[in-house]
Amino acid sequence: MTTTNTTVGPPPPFDPELSAALEAMPELPSSLTIGMVTAMREVNAERDATDADLARDGAFEVTHHVADGPHGDVPLLVVRPRDAATTAAIYYIHGGGMVMGSNRGPDSGKAFELAAELGLTVVSVEYRLAPEHPHPVPVDDCYAGLQWTAKNAEELGVDPDRIVVAGASAGGGLAAATTLLARDRGGPAIAAQLLFCPMLDDRNESVSARQMVGRGIWDRTSNDMGWTALLGDARGTADVPPYAAPARATDLSNLPPTYLDVGSAETFRDEVVEFASRIWAAGGEAELHVWPGGFHGFELLAPQTLLAQTAGGPRAPWLRRVLGL
Amino acid sequence: MEDLVGRLAALDPDAGAAVKVIAYFDRLVEARAGLEPIVRGAAVLTGAAARLVDDDRGVCVRVDEKGVVRPPADPPDPRWPNAPLHPGGPPALWLERPGAAGPVEAMVLERALSAARGVLARQRGPAAADDVAAVLDVAVDERARQRAARRLGLGARARAVALDGNRPKVLAEDREPPPGRAGIGPTVPVLDLPSSWTAARTALRFAAAGTEQDPGPSVVHADRLGGLVVLAAAVGPGSEPVQDVRDLERARSAAPWALATLVAVATTPSLRTAASTLVVHHSTLQDRLAHLEDLLGWSVRDPSGRLRLQLAIALRRLHQHPEQA
Repeated sequence: MTTTNTTVGPPPPFDPELSAALEAMPELPSSLTIGMVTAMREVNAERDATDADLARDGAFEVTHHVADGPHGDVPLLVVRPRDAATTAAIYYIHGGGMVMGSNRGPDSGKAFELAAELGLTVVSVEYRLAPEHPHPVPVDDCYAGLQWTAKNAEELGVDPDRIVVAGASAGGGLAAATTLLARDRGGPAIAAQLLFCPMLDDRNESVSARQMVGRGIWDRTSNDMGWTALLGDARGTADVPPYAAPARATDLSNLPPTYLDVGSAETFRDEVVEFASRIWAAGGEAELHVWPGGFHGFELLAPQTLLAQTAGGPRAPWLRRVLGL
Repeated sequence: MEDLVGRLAALDPDAGAAVKVIAYFDRLVEARAGLEPIVRGAAVLTGAAARLVDDDRGVCVRVDEKGVVRPPADPPDPRWPNAPLHPGGPPALWLERPGAAGPVEAMVLERALSAARGVLARQRGPAAADDVAAVLDVAVDERARQRAARRLGLGARARAVALDGNRPKVLAEDREPPPGRAGIGPTVPVLDLPSSWTAARTALRFAAAGTEQDPGPSVVHADRLGGLVVLAAAVGPGSEPVQDVRDLERARSAAPWALATLVAVATTPSLRTAASTLVVHHSTLQDRLAHLEDLLGWSVRDPSGRLRLQLAIALRRLHQHPEQA
């Protein structure tokens, strides 16, 4: 990163509707500390989708599987269009700052909605969380689940050549890391990756990270907490491997087509823009959307706003083009 | 993260939610958000589709509870909670669900309309109702009154009209008032419209409803009142009716045709004309008048008695329509 010495101006203004929603949002701290995580995990669990929700009145079949990973069992949730022939699949990795969330939490709704729109199967992985399970456990779990999905593709009714890795926030970072692992280990073919406001860089020093201190959702303090939970004392040092923080990768060539989006008013803005630029610099294919005035997770927090509706729009067309649907 | 509706629903509607509603719309106003975000806010905060209609300005914005703009298919249902843009005006903002507005909904209606008024004034200019109020108000700056007069298409001279209920209207010199009770002010240069308005309201007090209970002409021109204007000033809300007015009331309650007969005699040039106006035979009229003169105690057929009758009728209308602020 070369942004450390860049002049840091005031943060970009929030989109008016997002600002109103944030203002009206009761008790939503910008800065999360590790002490708040237990309580937040409990609250989040109440918002998980049930199997019945995921079945969408019987249009989808919900099954439960277990992959064998290097750290033990990895639960997988498979949601497949009933009566469909072989489908493409989204291998989904949920968000939650590396420390919370679940494979059926609100952010995974993006994957399930795309699946409903395009007739895809979703495999959603329940990886182990930091700080109880620091790096490399989360990414190893995610990779093990991906291997299982590719190996069992035929049985699942999934086309192994059209598996898309996707994730939001911490899940976006893990998705990018899983793709790097697959590339470097000669693992399963990945047709595309979708990185929604991904958490890519443990150094937490970009201009956007510094602009967002105490503002919006998931500010620099929260980000420090999440990365430290994952990496401990190694966070920010030269010892962090790209499979923990994909922004550390020196080689971003030979990646599948990549979709990235991020808000202009969030901590992750600069690391996401830089990641996309480096994919292009390496000759890769990427589509980047920076939504003006968006704070982290604005699509989840204020889905009715025009910006959230707009941000959801380009994904399905992108998948159609990339997967030839 | 759960979205705003879910979080607001969990709050105490009387305390917490109201504060959040105020904060939501304050933010939109600060950010100079347009009409659509305001209507979307009303929809999202109440969980019901919302529509804003301002026929004066040709505005119709409808947003469903998911925040999606959808033009209305049907006219608004009068059972939906609604509120006007201006006191006494037609409903402007609707929440599309039956039943009375709860405390949060009432607050949403109020704050959303307050925000919408600002946007409408900024984007579309003042409503015609605002311009009418301005040209009639001597306290408004003269240049502002002239601009308002131009927007209303009045030309150099115009007249104020007071409609039933003291509703104001301003007419260009060559335009006629709508049907119904009306006091017509004199045609004046547009800057003198406040005085025309004062005269029009006085004239309205002499206008009859044109019904059996209140027969007579329903359109009265201020510049034809002459000395009757002095009478109008003399009859205030607390004034006691003189004996002739009380006698007139007594006559009215004696026979359904009594008041119409007396008004016809007072306002037509001859008894023959009065009889044909009333569609009765001349001799019938003579019989009725003899009966009425007994009740009143004076002759309505000689010149002084006719004046006395005309005054009593005028005074009765002034008592029925006391001066209004």
